[in-house]
Amino acid sequence: MSKRRQQTYEFADELPTGKPDDTHWVVYTRKKRDGPARWAGYLDAVDVELAMQYAREHYGLDEACTGILIHPHDALHDCEYGIDPIEGGDATGDDGESWIVFTQRRRGMIHIEAGVVRAPDADTALARARAIHADGRITNIRVVRTADCTEVHPDDVPLWRDHDMTYKFARGYSKGVRSKWSNFRSDEDLERYRRGDIKEHF
Amino acid sequence: MSGAANPVQPLCPCEGEDPDKLAEFEQRITDGVHIEPGDWMPEAYRMGMLGMAEHHANSEIIGALPEGEWITRAPSLRRKLALTAKVQDEVGHGQMLYRVSQELGKSRDDMLRDLITGKTKYHNCFNYPAPTWGDIAMIQWLIDGAAIMNQKTLADGAYGPYVRTMNRINMEEAFHFKSGEDMVLTLMSGTRKQKKMTQEAFDRWWSVSLMFFGPHDKPDAEQRPAMRWRMKIERNDSLRQRFVNRFAPAAKDLGFTINVCEKDDRGFVTSVREDEQCVLDTDTGNWGFTDPDWNEFFRVIRGNGPCNAHRLDLRRFSYEQGRWVRNAIAKGGTTTPPAA
Repeated sequence: MSKRRQQTYEFADELPTGKPDDTHWVVYTRKKRDGPARWAGYLDAVDVELAMQYAREHYGLDEACTGILIHPHDALHDCEYGIDPIEGGDATGDDGESWIVFTQRRRGMIHIEAGVVRAPDADTALARARAIHADGRITNIRVVRTADCTEVHPDDVPLWRDHDMTYKFARGYSKGVRSKWSNFRSDEDLERYRRGDIKEHF
Repeated sequence: MSGAANPVQPLCPCEGEDPDKLAEFEQRITDGVHIEPGDWMPEAYRMGMLGMAEHHANSEIIGALPEGEWITRAPSLRRKLALTAKVQDEVGHGQMLYRVSQELGKSRDDMLRDLITGKTKYHNCFNYPAPTWGDIAMIQWLIDGAAIMNQKTLADGAYGPYVRTMNRINMEEAFHFKSGEDMVLTLMSGTRKQKKMTQEAFDRWWSVSLMFFGPHDKPDAEQRPAMRWRMKIERNDSLRQRFVNRFAPAAKDLGFTINVCEKDDRGFVTSVREDEQCVLDTDTGNWGFTDPDWNEFFRVIRGNGPCNAHRLDLRRFSYEQGRWVRNAIAKGGTTTPPAA
């Protein structure tokens, strides 16, 4: 630890001031190129360019990821979270702007892209999305204007690894750990221990 | 790692809350229904979840500090890559958990200010020194192992946004733990000097791991709001026992001696004696262990641990060092980095 780092800093004017937060963004990732966008997390950023940069760094490297979709948190419109699964309605029509629809199977689970509807406003989009996607097996529908979403694919920017990154996955250690454990434990004990890993922890 | 938070803060009962709404809320919890952000919730629940998520987020940020200092000293390129990725993960976890907290009503700037000024806390275990590479291995094996055990139960809690975030975090924690297990196995398969270094690190971290789950539960823990409202779902003591049942036999098989240690003010071990209680009780299937020094636990919580001041200083240092970047990004200013 250098002496410079051991300095104690006084923060009279420099402390965070409690100003309003930056724009909140919601991040979704695609595991497969043609697969749905799945909720991945959130981030704060001042603009879309920085938000996408953060999203690529933070969410684009963690697991299989062939696309990232982001939108400002303010742009989402949720219907009320149901206790019971919600049933479909009878709204029809395909006029207006394009809206991306996300559905949630159960409370506590993530939102997953379900399709697109066209509607002139958010309420109508929710009603039309409900008519199409509420099949008695989902508890929430979310719509976001397509124009408010920004998405990148690996064709546009590098999203995923171009070198061996097994060092950052649990499975990247499985073989080595197993072989090293075999110096300390019998095969039977090792198998029991490994099953415990999967059943109880991972 | 992460300091999965077991809130110790008292939660006041629901005075002044609408009894019908409260009854409906509690029925949902009983029925295993998740609470989503738009739902009505008692103020005590909101405050409790906020405290828990904020404490957890603070722990992720501070927890990255002792490990971050070892990136440049990692013994191989692969270990350096893994440690860099881990530190990045931890800071990312902090970011996600701050967002959960923001939704419960506190701005991120307020949370960062409260962390830097010491108003809010982070997990106790990060107030201990990590003087050798063996300590980094122990943080990843023991502390991350304890974190996974705790967080797996937190992912079964009732607050939807926290549960979703926890599920994602746990996936990454699995890598941290496995990486740590690999490091410990490598060191304990190594030279006599490496084994000695690792045993000394084990001595420093074993009791800290036992403290990780928090103090003994109150007898009525299940009736208190934190558990009644499924903010946490398992008692500290039962988590601690599960941890010992998993790690004590593993440590012994690896050749570690499980010791009861006394430490000086800097967190370094001054005397050791073998923990004679650490044996398997064949009747219960549980491993015994000597309770950690709870006086030390509360001393560290109150800010008098070996590294409390150091960690906050470093966090302040990082805040100061990053100001020119924040200014450049947020305000479009052109400033230069502070002189090295």
